[in-house]
Amino acid sequence: MFTEPLLSGITLGGIYALIAMGLTLQYGVARIMNLSYGESLVAASFAALWLFTAVSVNPLVGLLIIVPLAALINWLIYQVLLTPLVRRAANRDALEVDSILATFGLLFVAQGIMLAIFGGNYFSYDFLSIPVKIFGATVSASRLLALGFAVIIGLTLYLGLTRTRAGTAIRAVAVDPVSALLVAIDVRATAAFAYALGGALVAAGGVLVSMFLTFNASLGVVFTMKALIVVIMGGVGNLLGCLIAGMILGLTETFVATYIDPGLTLAATYIIFILVLLLRPQGLFGVKRS
Amino acid sequence: MLEVSHLSVAYGKHRALDDVKISVGEREIVVILGANGSGKTSLLKAIAGIVPKSAAKISLSGRDIAAMRANDIVEAGLALVPEGRGIFGELTVRENLLLGAYAKRARAKEKENLERTLSLFPKLSQRMEQAANTMSGGEQQMVAIGRALMSAPDILLLDEPSLGLSPLVCGELFASLGKIRSAGIGVLLVEQNAKRSLQIADRGYLIETGRITGEGSAAQLRDDPAVQRAYLGVE
Repeated sequence: MFTEPLLSGITLGGIYALIAMGLTLQYGVARIMNLSYGESLVAASFAALWLFTAVSVNPLVGLLIIVPLAALINWLIYQVLLTPLVRRAANRDALEVDSILATFGLLFVAQGIMLAIFGGNYFSYDFLSIPVKIFGATVSASRLLALGFAVIIGLTLYLGLTRTRAGTAIRAVAVDPVSALLVAIDVRATAAFAYALGGALVAAGGVLVSMFLTFNASLGVVFTMKALIVVIMGGVGNLLGCLIAGMILGLTETFVATYIDPGLTLAATYIIFILVLLLRPQGLFGVKRS
Repeated sequence: MLEVSHLSVAYGKHRALDDVKISVGEREIVVILGANGSGKTSLLKAIAGIVPKSAAKISLSGRDIAAMRANDIVEAGLALVPEGRGIFGELTVRENLLLGAYAKRARAKEKENLERTLSLFPKLSQRMEQAANTMSGGEQQMVAIGRALMSAPDILLLDEPSLGLSPLVCGELFASLGKIRSAGIGVLLVEQNAKRSLQIADRGYLIETGRITGEGSAAQLRDDPAVQRAYLGVE
């Protein structure tokens, strides 16, 4: 009885952590506060649905198509739409405000296109919804698979950012973009890459989510909010913080839905968020900026 | 060899640098002396490509770098240690130093340059896995200079490296500049500590309100009564 929500919560938490890692890359490195972030997730969910139902491509194979495509589209959005803002911004704070306004507009464009194509209905598809017994609980195979992939992708990202030269350069831009120039890092290209990488991660999250959740065209904003909450809870730019905060959020939502009332999940999410903002505004693992 | 001429920088209507001409040779330490706000920091930042220049001719080892972006200037062989050090505080000492070798020109010799840097600043070898912002001011300055050396520069620019350091640490720092010079690197130094910097420098320039107002060998500047009055505290 207890293990079932625990496993569901961990799966959801793993996906939240993955999504939040992408947002923290876009925000921490490229300094773009992307309000249209969740739209990439929903678009990827629809792409996975279409690939599966129309051309019967398995969503795990779909990842190989959708994720690079999402990276490319996000890279283009950065180059075409956001680079002019980066060029004219006097400082990082100005860029943050401009990017919020620009991506707020982008949110409505993306959502409008998806509503026009798919309407407001909820969608889902049946992929590996075979019940699996694990620790005496029954979970669907697709859920476990989604968790497995989230773990692999998250771990690869973490190792890539901490153990490679290119990854260290990305972190250096997040810490201090002017000093990054002084060690020959092409800061603009790195920011574009980080933005594309963030888009790829959220698209991966979208494909994984579509395997076990129902979704509709206007769900993006909910995921943007949750990713934002996880990023702020974990501390901006902190990948391990994303993991822990994502788990806290996933488990809380699932337990509240199971033991109290499914209608209260969002309320529980915001209560945690408010508590973090009141008690540790720099995030659970963030460092206070002086 | 670094040759700068006709360098002007303006912030809005304020002219920070006006037609500046300086040069730094191989194996040479050149010091820039000037009061606060005279344009010293602007000069280094403009050469390194961090602030936009309204006009300039800058050549580094015969290559024109005036129009290059800051990251390409590092690739061309010029490294700046900015005022306040500009190290990556949340990253470890090792990560900071290895990022110094991010420039393509420095990658092949990364190991060699790391050894050279650690023999110059042996204290850093015990602190490699420590976050850079948890170290003392002197050690952070070593990380900053070490990181710059990791890019295998021909010319090293230093902006107030002794700021906030104790006299003892300051002495070590200036001694290390001598070793950097003997490695064949040209050093352009901006310093408040005129006495110490004129002891180690080969040549110097005086800068006032954005213009070069004097130049000479370090010995000439030390003996110049105007320099003594303004910078060396001699009445």
